[in-house]
Amino acid sequence: MELNRRQLLWAGGGIGAAALLAACGSGVDTSSPDAAKNSSAKPKAGGTLRIGALGRANAIIRDPHGSQANESDYLILSLVYDTLTIPGAKPNTLPRLASSWTSSDDLKTWRFTLAKGATFHDGTPVTAEDVVFSLRRLRGTPSGASRLPGIKAGNIKAEGTDTVVLVSDYANAELPLLMRLTTFVVKKGTADKEIEKAPGTGPFKLEWFRGGNARLVRNDEWYGGKVLLDAIEVKIFESPQALSNALLAGQIDVASNVGAVAARTAEKRKDVQVVRRPNDMAMPIVMRTAAGSPFADPKVREALRLAVDREAMVRQVLSGYGSVANDILGTGDPGYAEDVPQRARDLAKAKSLLKEAGFELSKTYELMTTEDIPGLAEMATLFATQVREADIKIKVVKQESGTFWDKTWLKGDLYTTYWGTNDSVVFFASKVLVSESGTNETGWKNPEFDAAYRTAMATKDPAARAKLLREVQQIQHDASGYLLWGMADGIDLAAATVRGLPRLPGYGRVQFERAWLNR
Amino acid sequence: MAEPLTDTAAQPGAGATGGKTSVPSRPWLFAGVRLLGLLARRSLLLAVLLATLFVAVELLPGDAAMATSERGESAADIAERRALLGLDRPVTERFGDWMTGLPTGDLGTSARGEPVADLLSRPFPNTLLLGGLALLVTLLASLALGGWAALRPGGMTDRAVSGGATAVLALPEFVVGVALVLVFAQWLEWLPAVTLADSGGAPASWQMLVLPVVALSIPQIGWNTRIVRAALADEAEAPHVETAVLDGLPSHRVLLHHVLPGALPAIAAGLATSTGMLLGGAVVVETIFNYPGLGAVLAGAVTDRDSPVVAGVVAVTGAVITGVLLLADLVRAWASGGRL
Repeated sequence: MELNRRQLLWAGGGIGAAALLAACGSGVDTSSPDAAKNSSAKPKAGGTLRIGALGRANAIIRDPHGSQANESDYLILSLVYDTLTIPGAKPNTLPRLASSWTSSDDLKTWRFTLAKGATFHDGTPVTAEDVVFSLRRLRGTPSGASRLPGIKAGNIKAEGTDTVVLVSDYANAELPLLMRLTTFVVKKGTADKEIEKAPGTGPFKLEWFRGGNARLVRNDEWYGGKVLLDAIEVKIFESPQALSNALLAGQIDVASNVGAVAARTAEKRKDVQVVRRPNDMAMPIVMRTAAGSPFADPKVREALRLAVDREAMVRQVLSGYGSVANDILGTGDPGYAEDVPQRARDLAKAKSLLKEAGFELSKTYELMTTEDIPGLAEMATLFATQVREADIKIKVVKQESGTFWDKTWLKGDLYTTYWGTNDSVVFFASKVLVSESGTNETGWKNPEFDAAYRTAMATKDPAARAKLLREVQQIQHDASGYLLWGMADGIDLAAATVRGLPRLPGYGRVQFERAWLNR
Repeated sequence: MAEPLTDTAAQPGAGATGGKTSVPSRPWLFAGVRLLGLLARRSLLLAVLLATLFVAVELLPGDAAMATSERGESAADIAERRALLGLDRPVTERFGDWMTGLPTGDLGTSARGEPVADLLSRPFPNTLLLGGLALLVTLLASLALGGWAALRPGGMTDRAVSGGATAVLALPEFVVGVALVLVFAQWLEWLPAVTLADSGGAPASWQMLVLPVVALSIPQIGWNTRIVRAALADEAEAPHVETAVLDGLPSHRVLLHHVLPGALPAIAAGLATSTGMLLGGAVVVETIFNYPGLGAVLAGAVTDRDSPVVAGVVAVTGAVITGVLLLADLVRAWASGGRL
C-alpha cells in the first residue's frame, strides 16, 4: 500500500513541536549511543513485548487488503500475515513467503516460488492458489489499480502448487519490490465476512483483537525461522503524547513511530532507547514545472534549490532527527546515487539565475501547505524566510487538509507534500515523476527522463540497470520540480531491555519478529 | 465549552417560586403530562441539533470520500466511493434517511463501512463509566466542600473554598490532565499515565481510571461547589431555617435537615448541567489518557467528515444528557411536592 495520508500523518507526528524545541535548544547530538545496545548479548527466548502504536478508533481496519490508515492495524496485520517479499537493507527486497523469483527476458512475466514448509496458522499448507486468490482480492479493492500497478487480475495465475505467475502490462524490473507492500496472503476462498478471523502465515497468531488492541502469540510452526518472543501485545494510541507517556511510565515496551518530540523528552532517560530509522519520510517542496507556472523555467527552480539552507532546515524543522537530501527522491534505496554532488546553498548564484530567467522579484508568491503533519507548515515558514535572502518573496498559506488535497495537491504552483514510502528511486519515478503518472505532483513532463526510466525498467542485467537508474536520478536532480532539502528519521522509543528492533524505514518498521527481551 | 462565570444556575429553587395558588386536583398526573411535554421538547431540540451537525459537517471543506481516500487513488475511484457513500445526494435527503433509521436503533454506516452502532458499542460503556464516576465524584466533593463553606458564611473556610472553586472551574481539562500525568505518573510514579484496554475492551485496571476521573471532575467540582454554596446560602435565609437555628440545633444538623432539602432542586439542576460538560470534557480527557472511549471516535469522525458517526456520537450522548436533565426535573418535582 502506498501509505495513505492518514498513515503519514501519524508517521510524522510531532515533528512540528520538535521544531519549536529545536529553536530554543542547542545543537543536537546526532550520534546514537543506544544503537550498540541492540546488538549485544545472546538472544533470549520468552516474554511478552508490549508495543504501542498510533491509530484512530473509527479508522480500524481488519481486512489485510483494506487501506490501513492506522499504524496499529498495520502492525497487527504485518505480524499475522506475510507478504511475498519484505524490505531489506541491501538488497532492499528480501524473500518472505516467496523464497525466490525469476523474470522473463522482457521483464513482463514474473514467477514467484513459494517458501517450502509455509503453512497457515490452522496447519494447512500455503498454495499458489491461495496467493492468486489474495492478490486478485487485493486488485479488486477500490485502490487495487494503484496497489498493483500494471497487473490485471486476469494476469495473476498459479502454476503448479508453489509458483505464482504475474504478467505486467509493461516491463517492470522492480516488480518484486511491489510485492512487499501489498501482498498479505489469506486462504483461497476466504469470505469477506470471515476476513477478520482468517488465519495468516506470519510469525504470530492472533489471540484476540478488540477496539484496535490485540494480543498475538508466537507461531511455532513459522517457516521463516525461530521467533523468540512468546507474545506481542499491540495497544492503540490516539496521540503521540499519550504514547510517549505510556512508554516513560513503563506501561509499554515500545512506542512505535512516536516522533521527534518524544525523542527529545526521552533522551535524558537512561532506561529508554531512542531508535532512529533514517530516511523514513520525505517532505519536499513542489514547484510546478508546467507552462504558466512562475516556476516553469528550470533556472528558477534551480535558484530556489540553491536558496534553501538545508542544514538549518534539518536542525530546526526536524529537530536534528533527519539528514540533508539532494533533491532526489528515494534516498533509502541501496541504488541511491550518492555520487551526485550535494547541492549546497549559494545565494549569489541563485540571484544571478533568477535574473537570467527574468523572474519577477517584485511579486509575492504563495506557498500552500497543510498542517496534516506537524512540522509541514513550519517547514514552509522557515523556507520562506530563507529564500527571502535571495530576494524571493514567499507568503505561506495554510490550508485545511481537505481543501489542500482537493484544490492544491497536483494543481498548485508551489506547495508542500510528504511521502512516507521512501522505498526506492523506482517507486518515486513511477509514482510522481514519469510524465503520465496519475500523481505527477510537479506536472513534470521530461521525455529524456521518461526514456531513461523506461530503458532502466526494461533492462534485465542488474549492473546495467543500476547505471541507468543513476542516470534517472541525475536528470531528476538537475531538472525536476522537487526541492527535497532533507529526510526525516522515523523514531521509535523502547525500554532498555528490548533487543532486535526493526531499523528500516517504511514497511520495515513493523517487522518485529526478530525482537527479544533481555530480562 | 464555555462556562459562564456567574452562578446562573444558583437561582432560588422551586420552593421559593410563587406558583402555589393553583395546584391541580391530581398533581402527579399533571406532572406526568408536563414531563412528557418536556421530553418532547428536548427530543425536538436534539433533532434540531443533529440536523445542524449534519449541515456543519457538510460545510467543512472536503468530504468523507476524500478524507478516507488513499493518496494516489484516482479521481474516478473517489467519485465512485462518493456515490457508494451516497455523498452525491443532497444533505437533507441523507439526514432524512439517517433520522428515519434512528427510532429502530439504526445509526447508519460509517465512511469506512462499519455500522455506526457497532462502532459506538465498544467505547460508549467506557465513556459512561468515566462520566458516571466523574459525576459521582463531583456530587460528593461539591456537596462536601459547599456544605463545609456554608457552615460559617464569610469565614476563612468559606473564602478559601469559594476562591478555590472559582479558580478551578475555569481550568481547561487538558491543563488539569497534563499536570496530573506529570505529577502523579511521571514524578511520583503512583498511578499509570495512560489507560490501556484489556481483552474485553474495558480499562485494564481500576488505577487507570483514577487520573482521568479526577482530571474530568476538578473543573466541575469548582462549578458545582459554587452552586451548592449559593443554594445553601439562599435556603439558609428561609424562615424555617431561622426557626431551627433559634431552636438551638447544632449547625450540621440545621444544614443537613433544614437547609439541604430546600437547596436540592438547584443542586440537581447544577449537576445536570455538569453532565453535558463532563461528556464534552471527556473528549479531551480521553485523548490525554488514551482512554478507550467515545472521544477518540468523535475526533476521528470529524477528521473523516463522517456525518453519520458524528451524529451518532451526539445522539447517544444527547440521549444521556436528556435523561439526566429529566432526572433533575424529577428531583425538583419531588422536592417541590409534585410541581414541575
